[in-house]
Amino acid sequence: MDYRFHLAKRMLVNKRGSLIGAVLAVSIGILVINVNFVIFQGIYDAIIRDMSEYRFGDIYVYDEEKSTIEKSDTVLINWFERIPGVEAATPRLEASATAETRILGHQHEKFNVPVLGVDPISDIRTSTIHETVGDGQYVYARNSIVVGESVASDLGGCSQGGFFMSSGTDPTVTGDVDIGECQPVRVGDSVKLTITDQWGIDQKKRFVVTGISGTAGGQGFDRSVIIHIDTLRDMLDRSGESGSIMVRLQESASPYDAKQIKNQFLQAFPNDNLRAETIEESAESTLAGFRSGIAMINLIGYFGMGSSAFAILTIQMMLVNSKTREIGIMRAIGARRKDILIIFIMQGMIIGAMGAGAGTALGLGYTTYAKITNMEFGGSLALEVNYNWQKIGETAFIAFILAMIASIYPSYRATKKQPVEAMRAV
Amino acid sequence: MTKIYGEAETKVRALDNVSFSVKKGEFVLVIGSSGSGKSTLLNMIGLLDKPTEGKVLVDGFDTSNLTDNEISTFRNKKLGFVFQFANLLADLTVLENVLLPSQIQFDSTTNNKAKEILEKVGLKDQLFKRANKISGGQAQRAAIARGLVNNPTIVLADEPTGNLDSVTAKNVIEVMKKMAKDLGQTFIVVTHERAQFGDVDRIITIKDGRAFEGEHSPELEVVA
Repeated sequence: MDYRFHLAKRMLVNKRGSLIGAVLAVSIGILVINVNFVIFQGIYDAIIRDMSEYRFGDIYVYDEEKSTIEKSDTVLINWFERIPGVEAATPRLEASATAETRILGHQHEKFNVPVLGVDPISDIRTSTIHETVGDGQYVYARNSIVVGESVASDLGGCSQGGFFMSSGTDPTVTGDVDIGECQPVRVGDSVKLTITDQWGIDQKKRFVVTGISGTAGGQGFDRSVIIHIDTLRDMLDRSGESGSIMVRLQESASPYDAKQIKNQFLQAFPNDNLRAETIEESAESTLAGFRSGIAMINLIGYFGMGSSAFAILTIQMMLVNSKTREIGIMRAIGARRKDILIIFIMQGMIIGAMGAGAGTALGLGYTTYAKITNMEFGGSLALEVNYNWQKIGETAFIAFILAMIASIYPSYRATKKQPVEAMRAV
Repeated sequence: MTKIYGEAETKVRALDNVSFSVKKGEFVLVIGSSGSGKSTLLNMIGLLDKPTEGKVLVDGFDTSNLTDNEISTFRNKKLGFVFQFANLLADLTVLENVLLPSQIQFDSTTNNKAKEILEKVGLKDQLFKRANKISGGQAQRAAIARGLVNNPTIVLADEPTGNLDSVTAKNVIEVMKKMAKDLGQTFIVVTHERAQFGDVDRIITIKDGRAFEGEHSPELEVVA
């Protein structure tokens, strides 16, 4: 082993306090970046995951000019499902309705809710929204309705502390009976929807609640109701029309494949005013701001790392000053300035390597903990925790390089010490 | 050699036209009172400082034009140092301290020699002890071993017994004399404790920056 490395190591080990301080400074900087990454990148990925799983799929098709696609959904879905790499496709239709419940013969709640029309057969192959139905089951018949958790709660008057009060997204107080405690809508209850069709005429229909859907994170359908797409088409008088086509690719497909299939689709239907987007494009407007936030948080992490470099610089200056006599002795017995420089830079490298190792271990520990415990943000949104080895490696490498760079000036100062004067130091 | 510190009114002539030569194998004692210039003289000979005028020749080689790196290499190969406070590196063991001068030149063949010298100076049992865990006398003997490990042309000792009690000092002096005799090693030892050293080959007295041959002979100025 090079005597300079040996000496650098011994000098550091014998100054344990300084060594621990410097290593902690580096490792905490790395830990902050890793924790930020786990939380914020985890939220980001979770939002993309939920948007893809519940709303947009891997490819999302809609009409560029009108609110609905007039072309037969069967034609479009058959086209997609013939393409290698496509798992499934499903039509969807969205509208707005007034939902109301009656309890004990009295109108209990009435407010506007978004309505999603789905094809039960193809939807469960394309989306995982059916898996979010905790109570009951997914839409299976023309008169069944799946109610989002918030809507179920609001329809039962629970959003106002258990007393009968109007609530919901668009409250309209029509009841006047205080029925005491709130009773969220449950499976088996009935909900009446009023939807205005394309001709401006109100269409009313009573549905039986078959399931309650709970999807956290703001990307699900907690504040919506889900019904059969054909029922919605009938109520809107838009037979055969769809609002969008959601396409799911096979797990092995890459973002590049998604783009290829999207382009292929657009070439196949050039005159239908159809627009197709990959999930990245669909989520762009939602996530653009979030990405800036992640960048900002990472910047703060790197500033933290910069601060740790200053801490190393200070500790190294202290180490150099405390080793002045030793530097003088070494110079006297023949060590060159370069040797002294290398010894202290090696100390920086040791600090950097130990700090990067400890910080990465702590960061990985936190990541693993987040993954094992299915860590949630705000108690609801399950983080999508991934080991980003490139990011972990980059962070550790940058910390190591910073520690080494921070050691250059103290090392240079060490080489400037004259042996005679240095040896006089106590 | 002349060495002047400071400028104008604060100018101090620490060495004033000092010139002498030392034969190979000689044990030379440089004596003088505190502040007489003897440590300055040793620093010049050891190339730790540069004279204002004059030059140092070792084995006939003029050292005045050497670069900083060349001086370091020269010090490492041709000179051995023993300081007043031993000046071992506390972070290393006794053996590692003795091996350090050869390791600086990436010479890894001196391990046995270092052990041999340490045995000669009576530190056979202390090889792997940390330098700050041995006594002052043992540290000084280890420093002598470190000064000898590279077979230097001259060993320069600056007040090697200045920090030791009389018994330990006597022991260290015996070790140096033994090494000089056994190895034919040239020693230049600076001290103000003349009596401790007994018989030596030669004595140079430094007084007010000037060098004189012998102990009490200001009239015999050295002009070799």
